[in-house]
Amino acid sequence: MLSVEVTKGCGGVLADQYFLIAHEDRTGRSRLHPRATGLGLAAALLGELMLDGRVRIIEGDIHIVSRQPPGDALAHDILDLLIAQPQHRDVRTWLAFLSQDAAIRVGERLMRFGAVQPVTRRKMLSTQTLYMPNTAAQRNAAAWAPARLANMMVRGMQMSISDRVLLGLVAATGLTRYVLYDFEVHRSALLLLPSAVGSLPSDMRELVEYTEASVGSVLTAGRR
Amino acid sequence: MARQDAAEPDIISRALAKNRLGVPSVVFFGVAGAAPLTVIIGAISAIYAIMGNTAVPIVYLVVAAILSMFTVGFVAMSRHIVNSGAFYSYISHGLGRVVGVGAAFVALPAYSLMQIGLFGLFGSAASGILAEFGLRASWYACALVAWGLVAVLGLLWVDLSGKVLAVLLIAEISLVIIYDTVMVAHPAGGHVTFSTLSPAALFTPEVGSMLVLAIAGFVGFEATVVLSEEAKDPKRTIARATHWAVLLAGLMCGLSAWAMSVNAGPGQIVAVAQAHRTDLVFFLVGPHVPVAIVDIGYVLFMTSVFAALLAFHAAVARYQFALGREGVLPAAWGRTHPRTGAPLMGSLTQSILAVLVLSAYAWAGAEPLVYVFAWLTTIGGLGVLILMWAASAAVVAFFVRHPNRENMWRAQIAPFCAFLLLSVVLAATVIGFGELLQVSGNSPFQWLVPVAYLAVAAVGFVWALMMRAARPETYAVIGRGADGRVGVLPESPIVPKGLHADPVGARSFHY
Repeated sequence: MLSVEVTKGCGGVLADQYFLIAHEDRTGRSRLHPRATGLGLAAALLGELMLDGRVRIIEGDIHIVSRQPPGDALAHDILDLLIAQPQHRDVRTWLAFLSQDAAIRVGERLMRFGAVQPVTRRKMLSTQTLYMPNTAAQRNAAAWAPARLANMMVRGMQMSISDRVLLGLVAATGLTRYVLYDFEVHRSALLLLPSAVGSLPSDMRELVEYTEASVGSVLTAGRR
Repeated sequence: MARQDAAEPDIISRALAKNRLGVPSVVFFGVAGAAPLTVIIGAISAIYAIMGNTAVPIVYLVVAAILSMFTVGFVAMSRHIVNSGAFYSYISHGLGRVVGVGAAFVALPAYSLMQIGLFGLFGSAASGILAEFGLRASWYACALVAWGLVAVLGLLWVDLSGKVLAVLLIAEISLVIIYDTVMVAHPAGGHVTFSTLSPAALFTPEVGSMLVLAIAGFVGFEATVVLSEEAKDPKRTIARATHWAVLLAGLMCGLSAWAMSVNAGPGQIVAVAQAHRTDLVFFLVGPHVPVAIVDIGYVLFMTSVFAALLAFHAAVARYQFALGREGVLPAAWGRTHPRTGAPLMGSLTQSILAVLVLSAYAWAGAEPLVYVFAWLTTIGGLGVLILMWAASAAVVAFFVRHPNRENMWRAQIAPFCAFLLLSVVLAATVIGFGELLQVSGNSPFQWLVPVAYLAVAAVGFVWALMMRAARPETYAVIGRGADGRVGVLPESPIVPKGLHADPVGARSFHY
């Protein structure tokens, strides 16, 4: 469970951290519309590949910079897909595609690290597997994810690119109020938010903007 | 590696298409707003009764033709702008942002009034049905119950799910076909007459204003473009579905209006309609079908009105949400509930407005069918007609500025014809508007409504100019919808807007 602890500057934890922020630690439910969470996770997965120097976003298209396999199995899988499907370059297409099962795949990865456990719930006609922190240590690590971001913001600490991308995705998908939930305490952090995200490299900012746009159109259509 | 061959089946496209909407789902979405049974039972009988003209069937067919023409250019343009928005975003793309904001300001009251008007129909029909069971309930009480349900469902963002809607619509369509068959099978005087379908009737003076009443019955079909990013094949699904929605609504309404005139007799239909109002269809088919079929008709009529109420409520809330996100309305309107994605402020605003208007009517003791349903939907219908007219001009302008994107028919001929036809309809409507509301010659309502729309449009223009001066970066993304910052056309270099402290999606925190 300590493996989900912060490894600053490294991309591998971006989607994990986003997953832990986007789900309630007690119930394992998504805090957002499931499609918004999926898009945030998809963007985080692409962001990991970008932080690892495998791909770049240039004017809305994904370009592969390096084909060297990433160490993480999920990132490896996604990079292989990106390489195998060169006819699809549009960021939004990939966000839409990856968002479909991003929650399951990131949940599985967190399970491999021992940060969550699978919990199967019976619904009326089907069963649903949720990945949620179950032990005290897992819950602590999960609750730490948003608190860590808020802490760094309030204290005005220097944030890594990875953390600033995470912050951007949190803001773009509408999770800000779960991270900076206290209006008085977090006031300064809220004011810092735009500049922290605005200071990202341009392709990272583009990723955040495309995520924001995709979340917007998904919510406007209002489909489950 | 073999994987790098792009020739094999494309798993990305297939995986994306699996979860998306096909033509039928989009048609149901569009027709739900247009609510054919609501129009057939509520509107057609009202038009017969109020206008006293028998040209109703041909008028519906003509309107369907005009709107089909309009749809050609409209969906062609929807392929070139990345936006899940509504009419005003087309207008701001085609005619500029100032006109676009003016259109948005016209759209807000127009759609809002149409929804409130439907409460009048629901209330009066429901209280009539309850009276049959010996229960006395005023139209206001019935409307309030519906209002409560719509308000709650709107806040939960429960659009009736596609399957429920599909079942209801198929039941409605089957019922309409049964009724039409029965009515045509029992013509007045023993022979079927086609006189109400004669185009000659189109040249009577009332027809101009009847066209707007008919157009009001189609409102909702334009919502299909909202789903363009959810459709299997954005290029074709939406276009086909929108055409189907227009044709389906037009044919059903036209045929039913004709069948009514056949059964009652073209000479008597007006008198019968004036006597029976929303019961007209049930009165006509009653003698020839089992009681159960009539009862089912009443139930489906109520569900149809309710579905339309919900569809319009969602449309109004979505409109306000889109405007809030773009910064035209205050940012609070751009926030959604984080988990459900419901546009909270838009939904609340419409609910509060509806209950205020309905209460004012109840307090004044006005007759619900004429003053709530007929008046408000007619006034709303005029607003939507203005929007359609402006949108058709926007389509023409858009393809003039972006030539060679579509073929001649879609880019020039059809949009231009649609623009001309809609101009004629709009002019006729504005001239004859007092007649539509059945007010006497010197009543201020003769001219008040078109002038009021002009005034709100002017307020919109001024608002847009103020935005341009005060917040140029917000102004630059007007009409770009949810995709504000990205995906704009290359021809409009926009100032990149910094990320808000409260970006989109779920702006539910008050900063």
